Amino acid sequence: MSEQLLNEIREAKPVASPELRERVALIAVEAPAREPLLARFQPRRLLLVAPVAVVLVLLAAGAIANLPRGGTGDEEQAAVTAESSADQSVRSAPGSTTVPSESSTRESLSPAPILGAPSGAIAPSPGRLQRFQAEMRLRVADVEELSAATKSAMRIAQSLRGYVVSVQYDAPAEGVGGAQIVLRVPTARVQTALTQLSALGTILGQRIGIEDLQQPADDLTAQIETTQREIARLRARLESTTLADEERAVLQARLADARRQLTDLRTALSGTRAEARHATIQVGLTTERIEPAPVQDGRLDGLKEILAWEGTALLYVLVIAGPFVLLGVLIWLGLRFRRRQAETRLLEQN
Amino acid sequence: MTLPARRTPALSASFAATAEAHLDDVYGYLVYLTRDRMLAEDLAAETFEKALRLWKRFDPRRGSARTWLCQIARTTALDWFRAEERRRRREEAVARPDVAETDMPEGLSPELEGALASLSAGEREVIALRILLELDGEEAARVLGIRPTAVSTRLSRALTKLEERMIVHV
Repeated sequence: MSEQLLNEIREAKPVASPELRERVALIAVEAPAREPLLARFQPRRLLLVAPVAVVLVLLAAGAIANLPRGGTGDEEQAAVTAESSADQSVRSAPGSTTVPSESSTRESLSPAPILGAPSGAIAPSPGRLQRFQAEMRLRVADVEELSAATKSAMRIAQSLRGYVVSVQYDAPAEGVGGAQIVLRVPTARVQTALTQLSALGTILGQRIGIEDLQQPADDLTAQIETTQREIARLRARLESTTLADEERAVLQARLADARRQLTDLRTALSGTRAEARHATIQVGLTTERIEPAPVQDGRLDGLKEILAWEGTALLYVLVIAGPFVLLGVLIWLGLRFRRRQAETRLLEQN
Repeated sequence: MTLPARRTPALSASFAATAEAHLDDVYGYLVYLTRDRMLAEDLAAETFEKALRLWKRFDPRRGSARTWLCQIARTTALDWFRAEERRRRREEAVARPDVAETDMPEGLSPELEGALASLSAGEREVIALRILLELDGEEAARVLGIRPTAVSTRLSRALTKLEERMIVHV
């Protein structure tokens, strides 16, 4: 195409007539008519806003659902612990050796303890006889550290006026080393012991159980008093001079039985009190590379859980609605293609 | 001629200035598209009416005002073509206007005018956009709703055809 021809087209550019200019000028000064509602609706804007709105709604729903209801987090935690204790008491009672009657037990399973205060949530109640048992699993770096930690654990028990019940130490030249240490420390100092022991390595897990021994001790005391009264009564009857020889022999036998029973009861009470004086701590040390359980932040975890559920629900919705959306897009593309074809045909005809 | 003072301050002010600046472009484009100067005037007026209603939506970041106005002008012209087609069908008198009946711009040589008039509206509009209004490929593509490469192809074919028709007329 020659440049001359193109210039001719450019130079012959149509110019709007004065009448048209007047018409357009009048249009420009008129107040624009308000568009109908449907004309003002812009799907493109909705597409931009909708995802943001959906995300905000989901976050808000998660936050609202995660708000504490009628109590603090501590209260909720206490409720959970109480529920746990009911189950644990059923399991613990048959295994009890010193307490024949029913007992109440509190037990905490804490896969992710709070560092520095591993048993802060559960502590023995002062003034009551309780059996306190704790298990800790700690990871140490290597065999050298295993040895040092084992010694330290024993020293901790002794420094708190406790003692070492047993130690099993296994440190092979190759492979995973480990140690199992059973310590007894005064119950009043068990928190200190746990805090110090938890510093010996990385806490992998922790289990704390508290069994109430006060009621069994009270029962034993009552039985001792009853037996003592029985002995006193038998002794008083034996002091009588009017007893027949046969009757005296029977009373003496009953007195001997009562004395034996009193001895047994006193022994049991002493054992129960001794059991309550010291807490048992089992410490498991290992060099195995086991990742500690993630620290749980209750409120954030709740939010994460809710968001995960929302994400799952959203995925379901997408799976269900996906084909329809795809079909809609295909229809839209088809209609657009058809419209453009029609426009092209229209322009070719004119 | 300058536009009179407007009643709605900022909105009308900017629109009036834009309308005046691009009136010739819109009109020229419509003349090429319709081959009818009177019709082009009517469609140009309709285009600016629509543009005024949509002026709030105009976003300069998405394209120039000239491109935006040409898009509206194209839609207006297509609506007119559709309406005209329906009317012709109703009347069962499909009578495509003869080349001789066209009203192309003044100043063109008879050969060029005849050759332009013999092109389809689609071919004329790409010549109008790229040659007459001197829009770049991107802007023309935006108006036509196609890709810039397709604009180049369409322009090349239209100019080749125009040249062939010129030879025939000569």
